[in-house]
Amino acid sequence: MEEQLAELAAKVAAMEEGTGWSTSVNMEVFYWWCTALMFIIHAGFLGYEMGASRKKNVLASGMKNILAFAFVIPTFFFFGWWIYLASPGGLPDFSAETGGAPWSDAMGPNLQDNATGIFWAAFTLFAATTASIFSGAVIERIKLSGFIILAILLGSVVWILGASWAWHGDGWLLTEFGWHDFGAAGCVHMIAAFFALGVLINLGPRIGKFNADGTANDLCPHNVPLAVFGLMVLIVGFFGFLGGCIIYNGTGQWTTIFGNPATLSAIGFNTLMCFAGGIIGGWLAGRDPFWMMSGALAGIFAAASGLDVYWPPLAFLLGLCGGIIAPVGAKWLERTFKIDDAVGAVSVHGFAGAFGVIAFGVFASGYPNGDYPDTNLLGQVIGAVVMAVLGFVPGYVVSYVLKMVGLLRIPEHVEIMGMDLAEVPVSAYPEGMETSFGRGAYATPAQ
Amino acid sequence: MGSPIDSWEGAGAIFTGAGGATPGILLFLAVAAVVGAIAYGAMQEETAHKEKK
Repeated sequence: MEEQLAELAAKVAAMEEGTGWSTSVNMEVFYWWCTALMFIIHAGFLGYEMGASRKKNVLASGMKNILAFAFVIPTFFFFGWWIYLASPGGLPDFSAETGGAPWSDAMGPNLQDNATGIFWAAFTLFAATTASIFSGAVIERIKLSGFIILAILLGSVVWILGASWAWHGDGWLLTEFGWHDFGAAGCVHMIAAFFALGVLINLGPRIGKFNADGTANDLCPHNVPLAVFGLMVLIVGFFGFLGGCIIYNGTGQWTTIFGNPATLSAIGFNTLMCFAGGIIGGWLAGRDPFWMMSGALAGIFAAASGLDVYWPPLAFLLGLCGGIIAPVGAKWLERTFKIDDAVGAVSVHGFAGAFGVIAFGVFASGYPNGDYPDTNLLGQVIGAVVMAVLGFVPGYVVSYVLKMVGLLRIPEHVEIMGMDLAEVPVSAYPEGMETSFGRGAYATPAQ
Repeated sequence: MGSPIDSWEGAGAIFTGAGGATPGILLFLAVAAVVGAIAYGAMQEETAHKEKK
């Protein structure tokens, strides 16, 4: 009898060990594929940004986008992950032993740590997403060196500080105000968009964008089909992004990053519904395929905060609103403030993101947060203001300094000639696909 | 540099040079490479713009 009991106990112990390994490996596999899918976001951004450029700038825009990605990755290793782990209470705590410092044992191959590397990778892709959001807004006139500095600032410092406050189980916006933002509409989309707005003010519009009387010209993208396809590819990648927003515990219950129970089923329902709403909203607002697909993105951001709890028809309606807000907001910025946001990033990510964050307070107040305040409208409004200010101020201040030292904007003759001819040693279309204007010969549609 | 372990049994950090001085040196070199690449890129960009004037 005793022998049988001992044998049974040994079997149970072996099973427990096996289950533990299975949990760790499943967690690694899940985030591995989320990270891979998030790479597709950048394939989409690349296509959409190049398509949205005029022909004379297409390769320079592509290079800028790729380099943002490349410089954010190492700098996020150097200090981005540490900022996230050290700052949930406010500014970074330099005395905290967080394990996020680049020289710590956790920041490299470690057989006792299955989590750090895979979470770092997923967060690095979120970081690169913020830089790509900013990248599209400033195409065709920003200096590459100044852009890289700003992309590093946004991707490896500013957004991740916001994530530590607004997308962390101990973030002060949650612990003090009951903030909730499942899909990072605040810390990813709002911060990146308002950062871009701060830079755009100092950068100024492209030559020929505005006439002397203040009316705007349409600087036509050279390849709308590529831009539209890029946006659809980007949305495929968002399934990785949103999958990466949920925490795999291996305990039979997923949770949000705030610790609330959640299911992937909920995300499945609502992502599709707000995506569809966004396209229809963009279509209703203008029948422009570029804005229909941008509307799909805006629709997802408009519902992102509550993808874990919304009833699907509500997600659809919020998506519809996001799809309308995006083009209307972009026109408003352009006509009222003479802001030349080449792809409407401020409106798509910033305005729709802010709408989504606040809408959560309107439609989803009262969800419990354990020891912290329940979800509520005031918490969402406070969080939205914090995200907007945290994005805008560093973008404005640092781009102003870059402008003062001549690192922000390319010279006028290069802008008129085209950045590809000035900076890129190869031609985008060597088979002689000239536009009706000729390569880089004209600055404005009027010319 | 090289392996920081002489057995896989109970091993934790296994990256090259773990626990020694070389990761610090490599980190410094990596940071320098990033900063240097930005500086080189800025100079190259400035030269290209002047050449096309």
